[in-house]
Amino acid sequence: MRKIMTIVGQQLKMFFKSPGTIVLMFVMPALFSFIFGGVAANPDSAKPVVNVVAGEGKATDEIMKLLKKNDDFSWRQVSLKAAKSNVSEQDSIAAVVIPNDIEQRMAENGPIFDVMIERKTESYYSLEPLLQGTASLIARSYQAVDPSDSSGFPQLLEMIAGNQGVSVDQQVIQKERTKQTDMNLMFVGFSIMFMMFGLSGAASAILDERAGGTWGRLLVSPAAKLQIIFGYLLSYFVMGAIQFVMLMTAMSLLFDVTWGNLSYLLPFASLVILSVVGFGLMIAALVKTKQQAAALSAVLVVSTCMLGGVYWSLDLVPDVMQKIALAVPQSWAMSGFKEIISGSLHMGTLGKDVLALVLFTILFFAVGIRGIRFE
Amino acid sequence: MIEREVRHGLGVVNVNLLAVQDLRKNFGQFEAVKGLSFTVEKGESFGLLGPNGAGKSTAINMITGLFPPTSGEIRLRDIDIVRRPKQAQKTIGVVPQEIALYQEMSAKENLKFWGRMYNLSGKKLEISVDGVLEMIGLTDRARDKVADFSGGMKRRVNIGAAILHQPELLIMDEPTVGIDPQSRNHILETVKRLNHEGMTIIYTSHYMEEVEYLCERVGIIDHGQVIAIGTLRDLRESIGDRSRIMIMLDGETFNQQEIINHLEGSGLSVDKDILFKENLLTAFHKEPQNILGGLIQYLTRDGIKISSVEIVEPNLESIFLQLTGRSLRD
Repeated sequence: MRKIMTIVGQQLKMFFKSPGTIVLMFVMPALFSFIFGGVAANPDSAKPVVNVVAGEGKATDEIMKLLKKNDDFSWRQVSLKAAKSNVSEQDSIAAVVIPNDIEQRMAENGPIFDVMIERKTESYYSLEPLLQGTASLIARSYQAVDPSDSSGFPQLLEMIAGNQGVSVDQQVIQKERTKQTDMNLMFVGFSIMFMMFGLSGAASAILDERAGGTWGRLLVSPAAKLQIIFGYLLSYFVMGAIQFVMLMTAMSLLFDVTWGNLSYLLPFASLVILSVVGFGLMIAALVKTKQQAAALSAVLVVSTCMLGGVYWSLDLVPDVMQKIALAVPQSWAMSGFKEIISGSLHMGTLGKDVLALVLFTILFFAVGIRGIRFE
Repeated sequence: MIEREVRHGLGVVNVNLLAVQDLRKNFGQFEAVKGLSFTVEKGESFGLLGPNGAGKSTAINMITGLFPPTSGEIRLRDIDIVRRPKQAQKTIGVVPQEIALYQEMSAKENLKFWGRMYNLSGKKLEISVDGVLEMIGLTDRARDKVADFSGGMKRRVNIGAAILHQPELLIMDEPTVGIDPQSRNHILETVKRLNHEGMTIIYTSHYMEEVEYLCERVGIIDHGQVIAIGTLRDLRESIGDRSRIMIMLDGETFNQQEIINHLEGSGLSVDKDILFKENLLTAFHKEPQNILGGLIQYLTRDGIKISSVEIVEPNLESIFLQLTGRSLRD
């Protein structure tokens, strides 16, 4: 055991003396998480602004409420002058003018909204169908009420604006993903990706050591092969764990991120780190030089992270891609983290995730240890 | 079973520390070592000499237990190295050809790490590391990164890491490659001192002067086989204690076959005493001064121009050249 710990200590010392590894393992994921976390933690600021110029009146108020039901845009009520200025300065993507004589316009089949734009942006193309739909709804509402009842139209609009939409009688199996869970998963995703880069880089140091002679020197020392390889693997595991704990702590302090039940999170994260260590070992075993290892791991890490839902949710990709995702360990890791962080802890899903990761880990270690040359 | 070797005539009986018997190693179809056998006595300094690709490093790697032989036997005292390499490795120190150190760590950190790998710890490790640093002359640079050292200093730490645990047998695989003369002298003196203190040494090198300086006995390896083994005196006698006359000819004015024809009558045997390689004609003779005049006369008779003449006393290079027809650096 003393020899194993000596190797672990020595490898960690080398690790902390290598600026490249520290950048890859700590600085990059922290930077990515900070930038993306900053964006995700304050999503309102990223919403396109739409100015609304509205006169007074019950119907106008209800139309305003109807528009504000859509929270993909930031609706801001301003004066006509300010709206013109904002549009021309492109501070808002459009200004929607709700005319004071709206009922008269509807009676004459005239346009319900006047829209001012500086140019047709992508955001405007998203806004346009919403405005069309709202206008159509208002027009139909107007036709549905008795023209002699002046309060009928605003009342109907109020009813529509207050409607809760579809009611779902849902049996909660897995908790609904919240924006907070998505953000936490993003941090985990970045950690996994950079851990894969960092640890495959660290594991491929074995190749440098073989070329430099220290690997051979270790092999002719009284340390057993098992002690040597276990020492190296344990050191990589510790590096991964340090990275994960440091990022978890930093994110918790910076963005008030919560990580779910730690008694589930820590064993599961350990399994993920172990599979990443196995991945690094496998890369080191498949190539002959550190440069080859860097190239191969770059290709494998980026592509499998894309497939595995590290950069975006797998819910957004087609079925066929979701099926392909099952072939990469990241999809199982992300699924497990989602269960734990969201607090669902659905044992069926979590069990499958753990089993898949165990199988991947065994595969990686089998290829890695078989391929590492002890001569 | 390898029998113990007894040296007669000195009034002492020396027991073999290392015995290598009919060692073979194949890499696929290539036979790198072909039936190597030799013994090394306790306290002896034994040199393994051979050109690149002769099989020295392969033999050394098998002796240190890095990889097993295809066949054959290696014993360190009673320990079968092939079957129980880890037991043997406790008492072997290995200085590899490469600078097998962690460049980003200091000399002291490196020595401590390697000491721990050889089961040293605590006070014993501290004393050993300090002692070795003093021996290799790097006490004042102990805390400096190895990467900042000169080639010679790195080589010294490389040796230091192999002697921390005071091995019975120190195996050095070309430990002075690519260093300045001052560092080489320091290393040779250190090795000599270790040997005088009782450490058994196996030293492989290209440099014959090093082997001649350090080693009592020498084994010459070529094409994976020992082609000669013995003390320097034994080896010199085996080639008739002949000096080398090295004559450099002008490249454009001679024809090799013509010269050989000329020398037929010079008293030298063209098969045994003459070697021709490019412009260098080498002749072997016990009394070179007696034949030099005649030789030059034979050569210059038909207008062959001579660039230089050198007489070299019998040494390992002569022995190797005569045994293999090649120089060591071929």
